[in-house]
Amino acid sequence: MAIEKGQTFNGSEKVDKYRPIYYAGASGDFNPIHIDPEFGKMVGLGGAILQGLCTLAFASKTVTDWAGDPGKLKRLKCRFSAPVLMEDTISVQGTVTDVQSGRARVELRVVNQQGVEVLQKVEAEVEA
Amino acid sequence: MAIDTKFIGKTYPSYTYEVGREKIKEYAKAIKNFDPHYLDDDFAAKSKYGAIIAPPTFAVVFGAYLIEPVFNDRDLNLNMAMLVHGEQELEFFEVVKAGDAVTTGAKIISIQNKEKLDVIAVEVQSRNQHGRDVCRGIYTFVVRK
Repeated sequence: MAIEKGQTFNGSEKVDKYRPIYYAGASGDFNPIHIDPEFGKMVGLGGAILQGLCTLAFASKTVTDWAGDPGKLKRLKCRFSAPVLMEDTISVQGTVTDVQSGRARVELRVVNQQGVEVLQKVEAEVEA
Repeated sequence: MAIDTKFIGKTYPSYTYEVGREKIKEYAKAIKNFDPHYLDDDFAAKSKYGAIIAPPTFAVVFGAYLIEPVFNDRDLNLNMAMLVHGEQELEFFEVVKAGDAVTTGAKIISIQNKEKLDVIAVEVQSRNQHGRDVCRGIYTFVVRK
């Protein structure tokens, strides 16, 4: 696959009710804000929120699905900017902003169903 | 109570994590990633990697073994009730395969005291059993005051 500047791709993921529990088990992140809705309400989050690194994993999947080979992903970064709640739908759109010396730079827009950016400054680098 | 900047440069003892094939599958399913590189033994055996590989972000699973001691560091004394994960950066080198033994170390690389919050960044470096880099991560946490 030839990667060219301006190319776009996308993906989306629905956050089912039990996703933070599965992610907690797999990752070890059992912080109560992720697995206990009452605790989440108590600290003003409106319920349990998804682990930010799970949202980043969704964004990463969109990139590796597009690249076709997980080993091509060389760099990934983000800022966690808004909480992700259960039943949210996370949409990821990637745009190739530059291709140089075998590396494609990709900017990602990661939003919930209301268009709120749940991750910001999301950048990836992929072997071109 | 501000985080003392004297902890910049502090390192934490390394930890060697054995990457289990079933753990990779469990993680892949948890992030709803059904790529056969992670889940299909036959596909993986025939792939260029010759084995089940871990999703790139699996690096945070072994990375967590070095973040936990930072969170539990009584000298550093982070206020966990006020801490949120602010930013994450991951740089990937050699792909992680099932059966690898990944050794990870960590170092506090910056502490910034601001008016209403402190920001602390931890660099986490992981190498495989061949001594080759697999991932370098920077975890940035924000602690509200």
